[in-house]
Amino acid sequence: MNLTIENLTKSFGEKKALDIAHYAIHSGEIIGLVGNNGAGKTTLFRIILDLLKADTGSVTVDGVIDGRNVSCDTAKSESWKSYTGAFVDAGFLIDYLTPEEYFRFIAKISDISDEVLNDRLLQFDGFMNGEVLGQHTLIRNLSMGNKQKVGIIGAMLHYPRLLLLDEPFNFLDPTSQLAMKYLLETYSREQHATVIVSSHNLTHTLDICSRITLLEHGCIIKDYDRDYALLNSEIEEYFKGQQHM
Amino acid sequence: MNLSRAYFLYKALAHNQRLQSRRHPMFEKNRVMKLFSYVFIAFIAAYLSALGVSLYTFFKDTSFEAFDWIDGGMIWFLLADFLLRFFLQETPAQNIKQYKLLNIPTGLMLHTFLCRMGLQPYNLFWAFFFVPFGFLAIPQFYGIVGLIGFLLGWWLIFILNSYWYLFWRTLINRYVPTILIPLLIYALLIYFGLFFDEKNQWLFQAAIRFMRGFIQWNPLGFVFFALAVVPLYYVNYRLQQVAIYVEIAKAEVVKSFKTRNMVFLDKFGIIGEYLKLEIKSTMRNLVVRKQFLIAAGCMLMLCSLFSFSHIYDSLPFMRIFICVYCFNCLGVMTLTTVMCAEGNYIDGLMVHKETVLSLLKAKYYFQCLMLVVPFLFSLMPIMEGKMTWMTALGCLLFTTGVVFPFIFQLAVYNDTSIHLNKKLTRTGRDTKVQMLMSGIAMFLPMFIMWSLVDLWGDQTAAIVMAAIGLLGTLAHPLWLKNIYKRFMQRRYQNMEGFRSSR
Repeated sequence: MNLTIENLTKSFGEKKALDIAHYAIHSGEIIGLVGNNGAGKTTLFRIILDLLKADTGSVTVDGVIDGRNVSCDTAKSESWKSYTGAFVDAGFLIDYLTPEEYFRFIAKISDISDEVLNDRLLQFDGFMNGEVLGQHTLIRNLSMGNKQKVGIIGAMLHYPRLLLLDEPFNFLDPTSQLAMKYLLETYSREQHATVIVSSHNLTHTLDICSRITLLEHGCIIKDYDRDYALLNSEIEEYFKGQQHM
Repeated sequence: MNLSRAYFLYKALAHNQRLQSRRHPMFEKNRVMKLFSYVFIAFIAAYLSALGVSLYTFFKDTSFEAFDWIDGGMIWFLLADFLLRFFLQETPAQNIKQYKLLNIPTGLMLHTFLCRMGLQPYNLFWAFFFVPFGFLAIPQFYGIVGLIGFLLGWWLIFILNSYWYLFWRTLINRYVPTILIPLLIYALLIYFGLFFDEKNQWLFQAAIRFMRGFIQWNPLGFVFFALAVVPLYYVNYRLQQVAIYVEIAKAEVVKSFKTRNMVFLDKFGIIGEYLKLEIKSTMRNLVVRKQFLIAAGCMLMLCSLFSFSHIYDSLPFMRIFICVYCFNCLGVMTLTTVMCAEGNYIDGLMVHKETVLSLLKAKYYFQCLMLVVPFLFSLMPIMEGKMTWMTALGCLLFTTGVVFPFIFQLAVYNDTSIHLNKKLTRTGRDTKVQMLMSGIAMFLPMFIMWSLVDLWGDQTAAIVMAAIGLLGTLAHPLWLKNIYKRFMQRRYQNMEGFRSSR
């Protein structure tokens, strides 16, 4: 799916949280949104997902789904929801369900049969690492890391063509972080999905993303195509520079 | 101990505790509730003052002085105060957690919290009673100095009671059945001190002597107080030292939950999935479950009273009140906060297509199904011949077709998440719109039914209510769709409110 942002602005009181004149993401790209706290990453995610109203501008999603062209403004239509998956924070989880019940709920409202659900859950087996299913516990009683896993799997269960994950490496142990990287790369490749990931973990983000977008005070200040050696040093230089400011 | 540092700490903690209550999201949000709480306090103050005056009038010409009667009944005041504190007083260990890692000696912090507990304004609460009573009863015998001694004595007694309560409350927090011990102590004291030997009533006599000590400024009275409060303070200090670590290490008791698929609801498609959510939310979340149980308890109590006693037989409005209330109360109690539970995970719902519409439909069907409970309860008055089948049916359909559409409108305006699994009193949760809507939803049907009964009699009134209700019930897809559309128009505002109140 392609995603196009035009003249997007959002302010909270006097503070401008987002100001993007034009930004286009192309089908199949893995985008890494990086920036310090308060840069506007989560605000951008919430506006893309129509969870927050932009002051001006629009977010358009378009592409080919089941052989037909689709296009919609995310604030004006709900059609994008059937091919989009997202996990931003625990506000996405129904925490009085067990993980199994939660996955089944997501499957049912996404029109996925029990057989297909079981098949798909098998693909996340390595990522779950035996700590999510069969625990006989409610989501609210899981550790933060396992809650994160439930949210991420819930977002990917219906094989969305546009996947947005806010800080997906947070709370995960090192093994799960590596599994997460592998999962995102293979998912994007196999499903031809557009993936947008925000993270403070530069190493992981640089490893998996085909493009890195640097946000500061709500503005896109750099947009790098993947050239790993150059990218790595430039981004590190940028954050070092921020440290001295 | 450095006194200036202790005083500084005392002031800082007192300031933080005031901010904690003032900056609670609901405190800021709900000006009406604040006003109500002030009115309630004023009402209690007026009530206690009036009680003080009436009790003086009642006791003044008896064999004892009026103040002796009150002093002698000290155990009743202590028991009432002990029970009231369950709603008002926390243990220091519950408050100290956030300060534990700061560079403040734990002992100093505990002394600060324990002293604050003794000096908290609540210990003056009973002054609303004792000041007017004391003014009338004491000065004529012991002058103003005696009155001051009387009031000071009672204040010290309630400080003592706060430490006594704190001791038991800390133990109860660890192990709930411990509550039986103080209750048993009170029961034994009351029985053996007041009723076992009615001629001597040693507890009554002892309390009179003790309080006379304060009234007459006898140093022994204060010595007795010190002898009681010092060891109690010390025991609490030691107990809280242990309790802090218990509180810090406290984790929610994780019950084992079996995954329940409720496959019998699968045939209803997406609506069935949301019905499962409603059922699981009711079963697994303390706040939702409590609402349900309270409503069921109210229904059962009223239906039983109506059926098996004669107290409401001569009151036509009470009869209508009970009929309508039984069918309304569960819906009104739970739907007043419609969408507030979902506020906790609204983001997850909103990234799926038309989920809120399906959710609203499921909520409506769930509430309709729950009306089986009051319908079963209403069989009692029906069997007793105090209610007709048609009246029960009329009330049921009026609830599903008129009351529910009305109270469901709150789905558009509610924008505060409720904590699903925390103990929360209802007071402080409801906003002014919720209070207004639930008041109308509860009482308007009663007045409508009353008017209809007055105009056409019981049977016709019930038929009219059933007909109106049936129309509203059949039209539910239309009004639910309308609510959904309006919810979507207000979605950004609501989602912001839900997020900020989580």
